[in-house]
Formats: sequence, C-alpha cells, structure tokens
Amino acid sequence: MITVNTEYHSHFKEITGLAGDSFELDEPLVSELAAKITEKYGAKMKALLIDPRTNDLNANGTMYVDSKGKRIFIDDTLEDGETIAFLVGIAGG
Amino acid sequence: MESNLLRVDLTTGEIKSEIIGHEVFEKWVGGSGINNWIMWQHFLTHDINCDPRSPDNIFVFGVGPLAGSGAGSGVKGRITFKSPCYDMFGDSAGGGKFPYMVRFSGYEYIAITGKAPKPVYLHICNDEVSLHDASHLWGKDTKETHEILQRDLGDYPSKTHTLSIGQAGENQVGIAGVVSDALRIHARCGGGAVLGSKNLKAIAVQGSGGIKIKRPEGIMKWSDVFRQSLDANEAVYGFKRRGTLGAVEMYQHIGSHFWRNNQGNKFRGEGITSDNWVKRFHKYSEVCSSDCFIACDAKYKIDGTESEAAKKYVGETFRRPEYLTTGSAAGALDVRDWAEVAHWGKITNDYGIDNQDLSCSISFLMEIKQHGLISDDDVANLFGHSQSLEWGNMDDIEALVESIVYQSNPFGKLFGDGPYKGALRYSEMMGQNFMKYAMYGKGGASFTEEMRPFPTWMNNMAVASRGADHLKGLGLIEKFQRRDLSQIYFGGPEAADLEVPTYKGASTAIIENQVALLNSYGVCMFHWMLDPAGYMPESYYGEAYRSITGVEHDSEMLMRDGERICNLEKAFNSRVGMRREHDTVCERWMWEPCPEGKYPGKVAADMFEPVLDEYYQWRGWDVRSGLQTRAKLEELDLGDVADVLEADGALARG
Ligand code: SF4
Repeated sequence: MITVNTEYHSHFKEITGLAGDSFELDEPLVSELAAKITEKYGAKMKALLIDPRTNDLNANGTMYVDSKGKRIFIDDTLEDGETIAFLVGIAGG
Repeated sequence: MESNLLRVDLTTGEIKSEIIGHEVFEKWVGGSGINNWIMWQHFLTHDINCDPRSPDNIFVFGVGPLAGSGAGSGVKGRITFKSPCYDMFGDSAGGGKFPYMVRFSGYEYIAITGKAPKPVYLHICNDEVSLHDASHLWGKDTKETHEILQRDLGDYPSKTHTLSIGQAGENQVGIAGVVSDALRIHARCGGGAVLGSKNLKAIAVQGSGGIKIKRPEGIMKWSDVFRQSLDANEAVYGFKRRGTLGAVEMYQHIGSHFWRNNQGNKFRGEGITSDNWVKRFHKYSEVCSSDCFIACDAKYKIDGTESEAAKKYVGETFRRPEYLTTGSAAGALDVRDWAEVAHWGKITNDYGIDNQDLSCSISFLMEIKQHGLISDDDVANLFGHSQSLEWGNMDDIEALVESIVYQSNPFGKLFGDGPYKGALRYSEMMGQNFMKYAMYGKGGASFTEEMRPFPTWMNNMAVASRGADHLKGLGLIEKFQRRDLSQIYFGGPEAADLEVPTYKGASTAIIENQVALLNSYGVCMFHWMLDPAGYMPESYYGEAYRSITGVEHDSEMLMRDGERICNLEKAFNSRVGMRREHDTVCERWMWEPCPEGKYPGKVAADMFEPVLDEYYQWRGWDVRSGLQTRAKLEELDLGDVADVLEADGALARG
C-alpha cells in the first residue's frame, strides 16, 4: 500500500472543486490512481482523464507530471509519497 | 479546384483577376502554400533584396480550401510578405470571419503590390473591387477603422468584414501587425509595416456567394466524425472556457514562463491564473469564425470590481487574452493584475503591433536599467524626458509602447524592429555591448516562453522560416512528453525524452511539414492539438481536403506537399543570404542556465548542435552550410527552384 498525492489545476480543479487529494493505492500503479480518481469524481472526470480509444490517460489537451516534471502514462509505476499534478496541456495563442 | 486571385497594383491603380488553376493546387495545396508560391513568382521578377518597405515588396492574403466550408475545423487566413523587421520570409495567421468572407466574395487570394500615392482602402464587394480614399481613416486605430468601414459600407450584400492596420502600421513600425475585424491580429513579422509602406489602410470585404465543394457528401460525413471526436474529449470543454490560458498553470508548474525578460520562468504574485480569469473576468464564450466546433473565443467587459487595477479600465471590452499575450505582459514585463494584462492585449491589438517583439524590446531596456548598466540620464536621452522603467508598472509600459507605435523618440526609433535590432543599435550608440540581454532566435524574432529545457522547441526557435516561433514546428511531442506519439512517429520514446537530443530535429522537420499542410488547408491548429485523430493531418484532414478540392493526393503525397511548401520558404531565406549561422538563438538561451522550475540548469548549448544537424539531415539539406541540395529539391519537383538558388549562389555545392 502506498500513498500518492494529487494536485488539480485549471479544468481538473473545476471538476473536482479541490486543489488536491490523497489516495491510498494497493498497487503502485498509475492505472489504479486513475481508477480511484474517476470513481470518486464520476463521468466528467472519466471523459477528461481516460481516452476510450486507448484506455490510456487522455493525452490531448491534458498533462500529468510527477514531482520531477516527468509525464506519466497509464502503465507507469508510482513511488510512495509521490505528488502528481493534473494540468491542462495546451500551447499557442 | 480552381480559385480566383485578385491582383491590385497600388502604384497604377490597376485591379485584375486571375484564375489559379487546379494544377497549382496539385503542387501547393492552398492557403499558405499558394501564398508562398505567389510571393516566390513575384520575386523572380522583382529584387528579392529590396527594402521590405519599398513598393517592390508584395503582400499576399490567402485562405485555404477548408476554411468556411462547414467542415468545423476553424478558419485561419494567412498574410505573406518579405518581413521588414527580420528581412526574410514573413507570414502570419489570423482567424475571425474576414478570411471566409473573402471566399464568399469570389476570391481566395489577394496580391497587393506597388504603393498608392495617398492612403487608400480596398473594397471588395463580390466582383466589384475598388480603391477609395482613406484619409478619414488614417490615424485611427484598428477598432475605429473597422467600425467606420462597417458603418459606411453597411450590411448589404453582407456585413462588412475588415483587415486593417493601426497607427503602428501607418508609421511603418517593423513589428506592426494586421488586424482582422478589429479583434484578431496577424501579429508576426511586420505585415502592418508592409501595408503602411504601401499606403493601404484596410481591406473591406462583403461577399454573398458560396464555396464550391467537389464532394459535399464526403465533407459532411467527415465533419460528423470530426465533431464526435472532439465532443468525446472533455478537455475540449475546458478549452472552450479557458482557451490557451489553460497553459498558465502548466507553465507555472513546470517553469515555462518568461519572467522579466526570462531572468526567471515563473510568474510572481498569485493573481495570474486561468482560474482567476474564469471566475472574475470571463463574460461569455463565442466562436471566432462560425465554422468551428470548439468555440474557444471569449469576451470580457470590465466593471471595475474584478481587481484593484480594474478600476482604471471600467467599460473596457475585448477578447480574453491568449497565452502569449499573458506571457508577454505577466511574464516578460511582470504585470500582476489581470485587468492590466487584458488591457495590454487590447492596446496592442488596437495599435496593431506584435506583443512578442514589443514586450521583449521593453523588457530588454528594463533589465539593463535594473542591472545599472544605463543611468537615469541615459534613459532620459532615449525618451526626451525622465522616464521610470519599473517592472510591472502599466503606466511606464504604455509610455514605452506609445514611443514605438508613434516613433516619437529615440527609443521608439531604435526598437521599431524589435529587441534584436534595437539592442544592436543601442549597443552601437552607447559603445557598450548589451546583446546578452536581447532575447531572440532566428531573424531576431523574440518569443516569450522559457526554451532552455526543451530542445525541439529551441530548435523551432532557431530554424522557423519566419523567424523564432513555435507555430511552424510546434514541438509538442517533446514539451508535453508524448512518448505515445514518439512511438508512432519514430518507433521509440526518444523524441519525448527531454534528456536526449535524439529525434528532436527530426520532430521539427516532420511537424513543420504537417503544420505547413494545416496552414495550407486554412484550419485552426487547436482542433489538431485537441483531437487524438488530428495528429496525422496528412491522412485525417487529408480526407476532408480531398472531398473539398478533388485533389486526390494520398497521405504520402500530402506529406511531400507539406515538405515542398517548407522548402520554398527555406529557398526564399537562402536567396536573401541566410545560412546555418543564422539558425541560432540568443546568448541567454544558449549559455545561461535555466534558473528555476522543474528543469533547472539546462542551457540550449547542451543539445543545440546535434539537434540542428539532425534537423538538416532529416530535411536532406547540407549540414555544413544549411543550404538545400539540388537532389532534394528535384525529388520534390522543385528543379526550377534549384536553378534559381544556383544562379544566386544559394544552393549547396556538390
Ligand atoms: S478553436 Fe478558437 S481560435 Fe480556433 S477557430 Fe475555433 S474559436 Fe477560433
């Protein structure tokens, strides 16, 4: 069992109504974290977080990074105490 | 596919229409591709080394085949010319309704040459095209110009839509832009100065025709799938609310802003977040072009309660700032109140001036004053009076903006072409080398984002055909660390790995070709970024392109078309003398370690040369000189271009 913290920014913050969360995971897997987040925040979060075509984290218009600034993917593993930031990923304008 | 090109010679007043035949689309796709081809042809009979502000320069407006077709993929028009601020290839995109109204009038391309003896505007009303005195518009900003033309020309046979310059363009400020319907600026490369030098204040268009579509059922089918794909992504709804401002939090988190002339890479203060904008300033969302399934545009109207500075701007209304407007104000200039950031966006649009080069000109001066390299007297000599240069002080910033827009003092004159030429001129004037503080990439163009941790992004800054810019090669695989895309493109994750140079130059080359296609289709880039299927514009959008034009190019052919378009832009720059040594970036990015954020300590020099080598290799260009080879050009059916380059001594030897 590990604990992973989350930070929610912009659209993620709007959906959760929170700046962050903490989750206990049985397995140190991003897939488990994603499942817990979508279970907690429902369909809208699922549509934002999961790409139904690939079942990976939705990569278009979003960005998820660990505390070192490295992007995470659904099959990655997580360290105990890690903080993952959920961000809007867009450029230009 | 056929199209009408309107040619206007402002010197003689001659106006004529030409057909652009199907065979031109077969080779140049449309939109920016055809603009480039028109400009290339022009400079076969005019001196390519002309002063860009002289009558010999050409100004081309063009709109691609998907724009306004009902495909829902957004609309972008494009202007193309020789850049007066960077002295090289110049182009710039802009959205809104003007581009497809040009199509509805029966034209898709407009080529302006010569110089009118006095200020005029061009009125296109379906097939009636005429030049009119614009003395009553001269001196007006883009908003006033638009409103006067709309009022005077009325709503029949359609509402009037405009492309106009403000005071910056009239004064031939090198970094002046051209504004579509008073709202959306074609900011980059100085198109406004070109129109100003030609005494053309505006183009007003009224069109009531339609658009010919080869296979309407094909585009309707494509468009349905496209809409469903966008609808399925909740991130699109976030984007509707925040537009590119959504990037503010991500950039703050990883350290990708451009704070105080990039002395840092995070905003200071708590105020500038997209959340604050949405809560306090957002009034309503809208679509910029009526042919867009996203609708990311939004308006604000300040009532004075939103923030401390809002009291100064009660009643002001404009578009929500885009990220780079925010990056230039809250980043480069350290403005910390949203009302002031929004006001910066509005005044730069109304004056018609590029806020990237403008902010970096101002932040350059603020930084050398901050370091005590110039005295109060030196500053007074620049302005003709004492002038405070306080970071984030909007009154100071506006005074500096006006100096440049109106060319009213030595500072304005030195920096009218942006920070690179400005810093060079000022260093020479003062007998001191200040270039360390000038922030720029290729051509001297500046860009207000932190670049040092991002080798592909940095490569974009060094090689973009229109001068430092992200919208030619768009290094998203790397900045967003998309190892899934890296896998698809290259069969491995390296292009998404910030720690290695592998596939960084290759990413630039491939994405430049794809972006050239999108720009030639005339669509908005945001759909491409937000739609998982959009990443291969040659196949996915290619289907829509084929339905509309009947140009039956498969994905492979379209990628070659994109590559051909990039090669013509490159050839233009080679003709004006650009070589490998011009594909570079400023001293701070190259050598000064990234000071903060998630990737501290990075400098461009870590990977710059291997990435540049790889870029040339993937392009099939000569690595030593950076020049194109005959073999590559002939492979792209550009043997005639190779002949021109050879005659100019601008083709790689051997
Ligand atoms: S996504 Fe935004 S910028 Fe692009 S066409 Fe639509 S409203 Fe305009």
